[in-house]
This record gives sequence, C-alpha cells and structure tokens, in this order.
Amino acid sequence: MIAPIHDLLLLLVILTNFWVLGTTRLSATVRATAIQGLLLGLLPVALHPGWTAHTIGLAVGTIVVKAIVLPAFLLWATREAAVRREVEPLVGFSASLMLGAVAVALAFAIATRLALPDVPTRLLVPVALATVMVGLLVLTTRSKALSQVVGYLILENGIYVFGLSQAERVPFLVEVGVLLDIFVGVFIMGIVVFHINREFDSLDSARLTELKD
Amino acid sequence: MSPLGLGVALILLGGVMPLIFRRRPRLGGLGFQAGLFGGGALGLYWAGSSLASSGPLAADPLSAWFVLLILAVGVPASGYGVRYLASERGHGSRAGAHGLFAVLLVALVGVATATSVGSFLIAWEVMAVSAYLLVIFECDKVESRRAGLVYLIVTHVSTLALILMFSIWSGAAPNASFAALGAAAPHLGPRLPWVLWLSLIGFCIKAGAVPVHFWLPGAHAAAPSHVSAMMSGVMIKTGIYGLLRTAQLLGVVPPWWGWLLVLLGVASGLLGVLWALAQHDLKRLLAYHSVENIGIILIGVGTGALGVSYGRPSVALLGFAGALLHTLNHGLFKSLLFLGAGVVSRAAGTLAIDRLGGLARSAPRTAAAFLLGSAAISGLPPLNGFVSEWVVARGLLTAAGGQASPRGAVVVIAGLGLIGGLAVACFTKVNGTIFLGHPRDGAVRYGPDPEPGMLAPMLALAAACVLLGALPMLGVVPATKVAELVSGYPDSGVVGSGIEGVTRLAIGVLALGIIGWAFSRWLVRRQSVAEAATWACGAVGLTARAQYTASSYADPLLTAVGPATGLRIVRQPRALSTHPTDVVLDGIARPIWNRVLSLGSRARMLQTGRLRWYLLYVVLTVSALLVYLGTKVRQP
Amino acid sequence: MSLSSVVMYLLVCALAPLLPGIATRTKSLLTGRRGSPVWQLYADLAKLFRKGAVYSRTTTLVFRAAPVVLIATSLLAAGLLPLDGRSALLAFPGDLVGFAGLLALGRFALVLAGLDTGSSFEGMGASREVMVATFAEPALFLGFVVLALATGRMSLEEMLGVPLASVWSGSAPSLVLAAASFFMVLLAETSRVPVDDPATHLELTMIHEVMILDHSGPDLGLILLAGSLKLALFGTLVTSALVPRGGMAPFSSGLVLIAGLVVIAVGVGMVESVMARLRMNRLPQFLVAASALAGLAVILELQRP
Repeated sequence: MIAPIHDLLLLLVILTNFWVLGTTRLSATVRATAIQGLLLGLLPVALHPGWTAHTIGLAVGTIVVKAIVLPAFLLWATREAAVRREVEPLVGFSASLMLGAVAVALAFAIATRLALPDVPTRLLVPVALATVMVGLLVLTTRSKALSQVVGYLILENGIYVFGLSQAERVPFLVEVGVLLDIFVGVFIMGIVVFHINREFDSLDSARLTELKD
Repeated sequence: MSPLGLGVALILLGGVMPLIFRRRPRLGGLGFQAGLFGGGALGLYWAGSSLASSGPLAADPLSAWFVLLILAVGVPASGYGVRYLASERGHGSRAGAHGLFAVLLVALVGVATATSVGSFLIAWEVMAVSAYLLVIFECDKVESRRAGLVYLIVTHVSTLALILMFSIWSGAAPNASFAALGAAAPHLGPRLPWVLWLSLIGFCIKAGAVPVHFWLPGAHAAAPSHVSAMMSGVMIKTGIYGLLRTAQLLGVVPPWWGWLLVLLGVASGLLGVLWALAQHDLKRLLAYHSVENIGIILIGVGTGALGVSYGRPSVALLGFAGALLHTLNHGLFKSLLFLGAGVVSRAAGTLAIDRLGGLARSAPRTAAAFLLGSAAISGLPPLNGFVSEWVVARGLLTAAGGQASPRGAVVVIAGLGLIGGLAVACFTKVNGTIFLGHPRDGAVRYGPDPEPGMLAPMLALAAACVLLGALPMLGVVPATKVAELVSGYPDSGVVGSGIEGVTRLAIGVLALGIIGWAFSRWLVRRQSVAEAATWACGAVGLTARAQYTASSYADPLLTAVGPATGLRIVRQPRALSTHPTDVVLDGIARPIWNRVLSLGSRARMLQTGRLRWYLLYVVLTVSALLVYLGTKVRQP
Repeated sequence: MSLSSVVMYLLVCALAPLLPGIATRTKSLLTGRRGSPVWQLYADLAKLFRKGAVYSRTTTLVFRAAPVVLIATSLLAAGLLPLDGRSALLAFPGDLVGFAGLLALGRFALVLAGLDTGSSFEGMGASREVMVATFAEPALFLGFVVLALATGRMSLEEMLGVPLASVWSGSAPSLVLAAASFFMVLLAETSRVPVDDPATHLELTMIHEVMILDHSGPDLGLILLAGSLKLALFGTLVTSALVPRGGMAPFSSGLVLIAGLVVIAVGVGMVESVMARLRMNRLPQFLVAASALAGLAVILELQRP
C-alpha cells in the first residue's frame, strides 16, 4: 500500500530541514520554515482524520502562527533591518548538510531505542528528534541573529512534533504550551534583533560578546 | 625438498651472485636474475599446485595465495631492478641491494608460509630489517635516512604488538604452533579482546591503514623504484595476511572487529586518495594510493568478518574473496606504477609532477603501460581493479539483501564509489600532467623509453592486469578457495555467479571500442585531417607555463573538501600550490616524538658523571625495592 | 535479454538525441522565444559526421581515442538498464558497479583528452568536470543502495524491473527521494543548469563545453551523441524509480519510458529557465544535497520493518 499521508508530511518536514541547512539565502530559510509550519499544521488533521473542532482549531492555529504570521514577521524584519541576504554560516553549507544527514541518522537510531507509548506513527519520534537537532545545529552554526530565530523556530517545530506523538495522553496542554513558547521565543529574539540593530547597526550575534562591561 | 624450498634456495643463491661477482657486475646481475627467475618460477608452480590441492598449513590456499602475490610481483621487479640499479651511481652498494632484495623476497615467503609463532616472527623481523636497509639505499639523502628511521621505529611497534598478541594467545595453547593456536581459539575467554586489539594494531601498522599509515609514504618514496614496488605492492599486504590468518585461526570473531575494520577501511580509502590528490611528488602520491587501496582491502576483510560474525556465508565469502583479489590486483598495478615512476624519474630527472609534461612523446610505451595501470587502480572496467571492487561491492550488496545485521554495511558502497571517483580524479591528474600536454619546465630533459629489460617487466604486469580484468575467473576461482578456508564456509557458487557478465562487459568494451575506433577513423579519413595549434580561445602566445598544473587541477576538489584533510592551499598572484601535511605524522606523531626527546634531554640531568650520585641512585632503588617487598610480605 | 529489450534499446539510442532538443525548446518557449527545432541535434550530428577533423599538434592518440571510449561506454551502460521494464541486454549481480565504472571510464578518457591539448582552458574544464563527477558519485551509489534495500536484489535489471514493481508502494517515499537524487545527479552528469550551462558564452565559466573545445568534426559528434545518451540513461533511472514498469506489457512499458524521458527533458528545460547556474564553489553543496536526499531514503529503507 502507498505510504499514509502523515508519513509523507513528516518526510517533507525533514526535507524542509535540509532545505534550511543547504540554502544560502536568508529569505529562503524563512520560507522553508513557513512551509514546515504549514506541514505541521496539516499533521494533526492527517493523524486524526476525524475533523473534530479540536484538531481543526489546532491546524488552523498552527498554520496561522507558524506558516503565516511568524514568517511574515521575520521577512519584514529582514527588510526593515536591511540585513544582507546571505546566511553567513560558521560551518560550510556542504558540511552542515552532512551534519544534518548525520543528525537524521542519529535521530532514527535513538528513536528505535526510545520505546515511547501510544505513538501514532513510526516516523513521528525520529522526525521530531531530527528537527530538534537541526534546529540546534542552525542555532549554533549560524552567526546572524535572524538565522538564529529561524533555528529556534525549527527547534520549536521539533518539540511540536514530539508533542503530537504524545497528544493522546496529554491533550491540549502540549499544543498551547508550544504555541506560547514560540511567541515568547520570537518576542525575545525580536527584541534582541531590534536592540542589536539599533545599537550596533548589525544583526551579527557574534557581536553580542561586545556587550560585556 | 619441495619446489618452494628449492625455489627459496635458488633465490638466495641468486642474491649472493652479485656479491660474488662484485668486479663483474654484468655477470653478477645475470646470475641474480637467473636465480630469481628460476626460484620464482618454482615458487609460482608450488603456489599454483597448492591452490589447486589445498594442502595442510604452510601449503594451504591462504599461504599459497600470498606466495603467488609475492613472486608474481617480486620476479618482474627484480628483473627491472637489475637494469635500474645499474645506472644508479653514488649511492649504497648495488650488489648489497640485490642481495637484500633476495633476502626480502625470501623473508616475505617465510611470513606467508610460517606455521608457528617463532618462525613467523623471525621472518617478520628479517622482512622489516631488510626493507629498512633497502629504504636507506640512497642514504646520502637526508629524507631517505629520516624516512628510514620513522619506518624502523613504527615497524618495531608493530612487531611488539604482535609479540604481545601471540604470547597472550599462546598462553591458552599447549605450544606456539598455528595449529595449536587455532585449536585454542574457542577457549581464549577474556584474552580474546586482547588478541583482537593487538592483532588490529600490529597488522594495521604493517598494512599502512589510517591512522597508522604515516610511516608509509616517506619510506616507499625513499626506496629505489623496484623496492617501492615490492613494499607498496607486496610487503604491506603481509598485514592483510596477518589479519586473514588471525580471522581464520580464531574461527568466529565478534561483530565489533568487523565493523571496526570496515570503518578503518573507509577512513583509509578516503583519506589516502585525498592526500594523494594533494601530492605532487609522483612516488609519494603512489604511496598514498597504497593507503587508499589498503582501505578497499580492509573494507573487504571487514565485510568478510561481519559475514562470519553474523553467520552469513555469502557475505563472508564475497568479502574475503574481494579482499584477497584486490590484494593480488593491487600488487600488480601498483608495482607497475612504481616501476613506471622509476622510468619517469630516470627519463626526466625529477618526480615533481608540476614540472613535467608531454613525456608520452618521448617515452610512448612507458606512457601506455602507466596509463593502463592508472585505469586499473581507478577501478575501471575492463581491468582487474574493477573486478575486485565489484566482488567487494557485491559482498556489501548481499549484506543488504537479508533482513538482519549487517544490513547497514551496504552504505559503505557509497564510500567505495567516492573513493573510485577521487581515484579517477587523481590519476587523470597524474597522467595528464606527466605524459600529456607540453613540458611545464623547460629545464627538464626528456629521455626515451627504457631498454627492453626494464620495459618488459612493466608490460608483463600490464598484461596481467588486462588478463585478470577480461577473464576474471582466473583470479576469482582461486580467491574463492582461499576465502572458503578463511571464512570456514563452503562456497555454493555465490562468489563466481555473474562472473561471465563481467567478461561480457569487458568484451563489450573492447568490441565497441574497436568498432567505434574504426568508425570514427573512417568518418575522419573521408574528409580532410588538418593539424594546427591548440585553440586558445583567440589568445596568442600562450606558453607552456599557462597550462593547468597538477596543483591547479586538484584545487577545486581540494578546496571543496576543505581543511578537514590537513591540506594547505596557497594562492599567490603567479602561482598556486597545495601543501599536504600528514595529519597524523605532523599533527600527532612528531609532537609526541619531540616531547619524548625533550623529556629525554631533561632526564640527562640525572647523568651527572659523579660516582656519589650513582651510589645514591643505587641506594634509592634498593630501598624502594625493600619497601615494595615489605608491603608484599605483610599481606598474607 | 528479450526481443522487447532489444527493440527498446535501439529505440532509446535512436531517440536520445531528441532529449537535449526538447530541453532547449522548452527553455526557449518559456523565455518567450521560438527556439531551434527539437531535432536540431540530428542535424548537427549529420553535419559533424560529414566534416573532417582538425587536431592540435600537441595531442596524442589519447585525444583521438577519447570520443570513441566515451560513446562505447555510454552505449554499454544503456545495455545494463531494463529499458523495457523487465530485462536488460546484459545483467549480472552487482552490475551497478559496472554501470558507474563504465561512466567513469568514459569520463577518464575525455578528461585526459582535455589535458592532452595542453590548453589552460581545457585543463580548467577537465579539473571542474572531475570535481563535479566525483561529488556526484556517492549520490548515485546511495540511490542504488535505496533500490537494493527496497528490492533486496543486486542487478539493475531487477532493482529497476519486475521486483521493484512488487515492492514499490511499500517504499514509495524513499523511492521518490531516490528519484529526486537521481535527477540532481542527472543535472550534474549531463552538464545542465544549475551545475553547468550548455548555453554559456564565456569559456571561463564553462565546465563540460570548455573541456571539449578542441574536438571537431566526427569526434565532436560522438561526444554530443554520448551526452544525449547520458541524459537518456539518467532519465531512465529517474523514470524507473518513479514509475514501476515491471508489471506492464512491453509496449505500454516502453511508451511510459519514452513519455518519462520527454517529461524529464521538459523538466530540465524548466529548471534551466527558472534557475541561474550556481557559483562554482556551491557545486559540491548541490551534490552533497543530492547525497543527503538519497541518504535519507537509505535511512528510511533501513528503518522499514
């Protein structure tokens, strides 16, 4: 039989991760996270095709926040702060792609050892882990503050997927918590972004070290 | 006396000839050659018949296979060496070098046919020391002496590891014969990990696997070309022989040993070829390619070991057979290439690839043989390198066919592909810059092909490469027999299946090539054939200096791979150069060595030369001993 | 070997020169021009085969032999693929190594021919060509590994033929990924945008074109023909991984393959009209991404219960 739709969605999530790692344009990474947000929004519907108000609400909320509002906000920030369009990674693109592939392999290896109860589909946990790892990778290897917001978003997306895997056991709480988390995270990073921009006319977080007394 | 014993005696006799006829080098050389050819022929006959009959230890297929390799490379190399050394002046004694060569050959045969720990280790040491003396043949050069020293130190670390391994192993056996060791293998218990680790260290050092390869490029580049051929083509394979013999005697090995070997193989293969790509000294480059090919062989050995560990007969057979086949094939084409490097060095007076060019014009036969060897080492059909890589790859693919471990090992095939791609890149660089185009340095002279005595061994090796590539069953059938012995599984026709496909592929390449050649010549001849200068896109007056050099050719690849491999790329307005640093030798081994030296010089403070200090040392030692004994005695 | 495989082999070899024409035509149409006819390459070949040749005085036999080696290896490599969806002209276990080896042999010859001219331009092209091809190698092999894991078979005939059809639906995601990876390798191996630009006009920015700068007449014709064959070869890999043809009748299977090849040629043209070529130092990244896709597919296959 053809692979179920949610597995395809999860696969595409991994591909968007690779996209973020491999692309040279800042705007492209934002677009990739937007698509990832859209995929994540579709996921609960695909996992629980019962069309309950809860799943639909969750899907719509996720798509609005993760696929529309945040990316638009980020793109606006890019324009507003006149950030150069290149990503400027600390680790080369090929190397980060390879690291990403290693992260995915690692995620699958860990997930097979991690016997979680009530997981709706086999791919859910490894994809969540891989997404978290790629988020961490982006956070640590990209120098621009805006790239780091993207990395943080990917990290949050990973946690979101992980939350989905436990949605049966802990309803509601995960989603709300995750959504709130994103708001808080982006809020903080946004402040940081503008702050740095105003102070140093730069969005390079390597310069954050200059903030010390 | 067996044919092998007789052959060994003849080889030794041949080795003595140049020493006896010191005053008449031609006669000495003739005697040397006669002894080695006769002895070699007898030994090869013995190896062939042993492979056919699978006798007891010392004449079993595994020993016979390596004797075959040793003599198949050793005999042509010796024939080449007689002419090659005849023109060398001002180095060490030529007669001595011939004698040592014969000793090295006999020691190698001794390693491959030893039946007990004692004789194995003696042969091992004789091999190591005679090779050392040959490495420093050009002892007037500083780098030769230095390379020799590094080699001597490292090879003794290897011997030390092997002595430890055998003493631990034979502790569980009634005596130190290999048969007794094999019988004791199931009762090793906690000693088994020690044996496995020490065998890995000892034999991988000798084989030149990453990260203990660092002695190899220097030593192989320093030796005279026919000795380099012997060392790179054959001597390092004694490490492979040791690993296979260990695996055979142990019977069943734990999975981690196989996985580790595969990992070491991939690391050696990739890093070896990358380092070679950055090398622009022909012999060092070829030496790094030995590291690469040892990597491919180790992938095969590891796959075989995994097959044994997980009880997958076809995986084990294919892995071991591929490793064995590649051991032989690499011996053939690598010695061919080293002999070719000797010709290049004599014809052009330098081995610096960046200064050469256009040598095919003055030495076309050498160029053709070298090109063929290059295609073979790059694993291209229809040559022998392709056949062995095909067998190893099939081992990995067979692993993928099952549902259980070692299914994931199939990913290594991508590593093999990358190694092959890099080898193509490296050998197009070598052939393109040495033999094709224009000379890059006007000061380099261009000599002709060497005399027939030097050319014939190269052509013979080239013919063997073609033969084993086009008729792969010639190699695969005996290799399968050896693999059966090593793995302990009988072959049900797995290894040879599809072999006729390889032959058809080879025939197809040759047939289509010939038809295509006739077709293209016909097309061209119908019209005019004009000769002109190379089109330089409208530019006029481009000199030979404007050609791509080996450095600039390798630059895009090396830049892309980056500093991960220890390469330094220097861009200057008028020139570009790549500087390979050996990560292990320059980054780890040298600093440790320097630290040891500085510790040693500090320890020299203790050497005051005054008697009372020495008396104090004696007193201190005695009292320390007494204290130690006191604590020992008090414990009940 | 069967009759249908022979027929398909001849058909694919005969129609291969259409593919670059289709790609170019697609690009022309999408960029608002009329473009050359799709059979342009046939006309070019007819012209080139009727011409004489000019050889550089620097060159040796290597230069003259290279186009022949290239066309011979490409023709043989096509024989290893099950073009009718069931059987190949030549199949044996592990023949995928032979497939890669044949392509490598052709490249080996052509790159040496480039260096044979002693031209700095062709040296440059040769150097870049081997870089691209080297990085494409692991992606190609990982794609084959996906097929091997999905089918449990060892020859291309089976990995792309009947056994693939029976397991296709179970491994659809990984096979789609492998096909995507094959397509990226196709763009690299056939010197297409975004790796190389067949229409570029400055030698310094070329890869493949500048390497064959000195070849003329029938030699150049053979190289162009081999290039179109290569497009058909990799196109067959992509099509076979995407559309399992093992269960179809020979006729419909052949039709599907040809339709697939046309679609891929159109795809190549579309990529060419919407993308710029990548900077030279970004090329490894493109091919590493292809490897990463195939690697992901391998992980999925290894995880499949």
